Amino acid sequence: MAVVLSRRRGSRGLRRGWLVGVAATGVLIAACGSGGGGSSGGTPTGQASGGASGGSSGGENLKGQTVTVIGTWGGDEEKAFLQMVKPWEDQTGAKVQYTGTRDINTVLTTGVASGVLPDLAGLPGPGQMAEYVAAGRLKPLDDVLDIAKYKQETAPALVKLGEVNGKTYGVFIKAAIKGLIWYNPHQHDYSSAPPKTWDELMSQAKANQGNAKAIWCLGLESGAASGWPGTDWIEDLVLRTAGPDVYTQWYEGKIKWTDPRIKKAFQIYMNDVVAHTYGGGKTAVATNFGNAGDPLFANPPGCEFLHQASFITGFSQFKTHQAGTDYNFFPFPDIDPQFAGAVEGAGDLFGMFHDTPAAKSLMRYLVTAKAQDIWVKIGGALSANKNATDYPDEISKRSAEILHNAKIFVFDASDLMPTAMNDAFWKAMVALTNGSQSLDQALSSLDKVQQDAYQSS
Amino acid sequence: MMRRILRPVVVAAGDRTPSSGAAVLAPPAPIRVALRPRRSLRSRRARLLLHCAVSLIMVVWIVPTIGLLVSSFRPSSELSRSGWWTALAPPFHFTMSNYENVLSQQGMGRAFVNSLFIAIPATVIPLFVAAFAAYAFSWMEFPGRDLLFVVVVGLLVVPLQTTLIPILKIFADWGLTGKFLAVWLAHTGYGLPFAVYLLRNFIGSLPRSVFESAFIDGASHVTAFFRLAVPMSVPAFAALAIFQFLFVWNDLLVALIYIGLSNSQNLPMTAAIANLVNSLGGGWYLLSAAAFLSMALPLVVFFALQRYFVRGIVGGAVKG
Repeated sequence: MAVVLSRRRGSRGLRRGWLVGVAATGVLIAACGSGGGGSSGGTPTGQASGGASGGSSGGENLKGQTVTVIGTWGGDEEKAFLQMVKPWEDQTGAKVQYTGTRDINTVLTTGVASGVLPDLAGLPGPGQMAEYVAAGRLKPLDDVLDIAKYKQETAPALVKLGEVNGKTYGVFIKAAIKGLIWYNPHQHDYSSAPPKTWDELMSQAKANQGNAKAIWCLGLESGAASGWPGTDWIEDLVLRTAGPDVYTQWYEGKIKWTDPRIKKAFQIYMNDVVAHTYGGGKTAVATNFGNAGDPLFANPPGCEFLHQASFITGFSQFKTHQAGTDYNFFPFPDIDPQFAGAVEGAGDLFGMFHDTPAAKSLMRYLVTAKAQDIWVKIGGALSANKNATDYPDEISKRSAEILHNAKIFVFDASDLMPTAMNDAFWKAMVALTNGSQSLDQALSSLDKVQQDAYQSS
Repeated sequence: MMRRILRPVVVAAGDRTPSSGAAVLAPPAPIRVALRPRRSLRSRRARLLLHCAVSLIMVVWIVPTIGLLVSSFRPSSELSRSGWWTALAPPFHFTMSNYENVLSQQGMGRAFVNSLFIAIPATVIPLFVAAFAAYAFSWMEFPGRDLLFVVVVGLLVVPLQTTLIPILKIFADWGLTGKFLAVWLAHTGYGLPFAVYLLRNFIGSLPRSVFESAFIDGASHVTAFFRLAVPMSVPAFAALAIFQFLFVWNDLLVALIYIGLSNSQNLPMTAAIANLVNSLGGGWYLLSAAAFLSMALPLVVFFALQRYFVRGIVGGAVKG
């Protein structure tokens, strides 16, 4: 009897279940139907990418086509980029649809794995670029660009960083020079005789300190990336004490962190920089890198120097002061004379995922000096293109000259390290600077990370 | 589950009920009468203590928000120089420029509309589906019911990040990437396990006798669902709607992956706000103002539905 009951109940349940299921599906279909209509109505331009090849070929009339672009640029940078592509849009009739996100690594890695990609994208770094090439998603640019002209106009080190297996996949449409030493000429004007060596710099700093509270300004805070200004310090010191070969082996994971050549850079940082920092190491860790230079302009000044890349002119009080008269810079002095003239830089790589005519045309346009001049003129950026010279002030012009005339040019080492190594490097800089770890502790734990970090990549 | 942060709901308890031990030791009646004024004094004191504790928790909870609000009205030059509390003493330096700056950003209005386009269907659809499912799991008997329920609820432990790539592949095959429908479906999927769990607990705890008498009178499950289960579960629906709406409204990742990769025109407000800051972190001072603008609508939703909120959560948690 119990069996019969339960069977009866079961069948009734099933029938009703089926009914409810139908009702649910009905609602869902209704929702989907209205959804499809709504979204296609809302996005007249959504379909254009990818299937754009049917339009005109060869000529530059790309009317109605869309190029989707993803990059890390937001805020003022996004505006500058859109301003930069405006003449191209006007000329060709095509449109640029830009998405900015600082999670570019997550977004593109997901996109590469699933095949949904924008036409053009800013790439997180050379390492990821090689991965995307290996996955078969990035398109080579050798036939797209006038490659001979591009190579002649661009610093060789930057050209090389965009190559995988001898083919060009990434171009730099924005660059920066790292390791500039900023000072306030009202305190002491170094422009006529900038210090040539590290020892000279330190002795002049002590002689000219006046009523400045400390030699260095330092700020390591930068959200999740806190610590990177410290890694720039170490990179500059390694490059000038041990040279570019050691520098390369170091970021490739072939030299240990405890190696005396690397350790020496850390020691200089600890003894000459952190020990003479405005407010001490703990303040430096809590200070945002963009505001780190503010004490330069205080009265009495908090510090004499700020070590930071060329893009600092777009931040905080640098923005409100006059370039050249209120602030100025000299290049990082040499330490070991055999590596004189070495410079570290960074930049934003740009690559192409879909070779539609519009995407190709935009890519060709972006590397030209004419396009680059637009961004350069707005300020806050250097061009990788030698012929882009429309810099708004003397300071940016000089930084650009350093970029293009460097005898030895290396890319930011921490950006070239595997992500795990880079993260550990950032964290170690914070721990060292605020004194929560000793140098030996920090270096040996970096060694441990190094053992694993390079295996997966 | 990682993505749902359940805020503790502070429920003001009534007077303490005497324990059974106290009842045994209770003094004889006449003395109890004599003690009554003192007792109520004690209970008043306990109540005062309770109020103090609740106020304290409230203050601790709200101070960061006030700080954010004050910061959003301060000029950027002041922001990096001193703490927000210094702004509360004269001389006052307040400005609307942060808000003006955010509001004048190109595309901010469209992003707001997009956010609504995304959040409303992505709240309604899972609510419907979960209500049907919860009813079925509570009042319909079919083979494997409990197993199915455990599986659905078990999906709570799957981090949504692990699903991004396979689902994006499916959406690409269906041609959905960059469309609102893609995010609706995604949010429905991500929201369902929790929604089914919450509603099943609520609907399952409705009095059995009500349903049984309805069935005896010949009501079908459809009638029972629409005439009985739905009207009695409004508080739970409201609570769930708030959760789901807040989650979708505040979501950046899902929108960025399913929409941002192919069609920036449909991106929600979170993406527009995140993009106020440039790649080096410049422009961060706009974020506090932007945060308040994006909070405005969820606050309205919350206050409109809040009287159901506590009831729904407590109803789901205690019963069933």
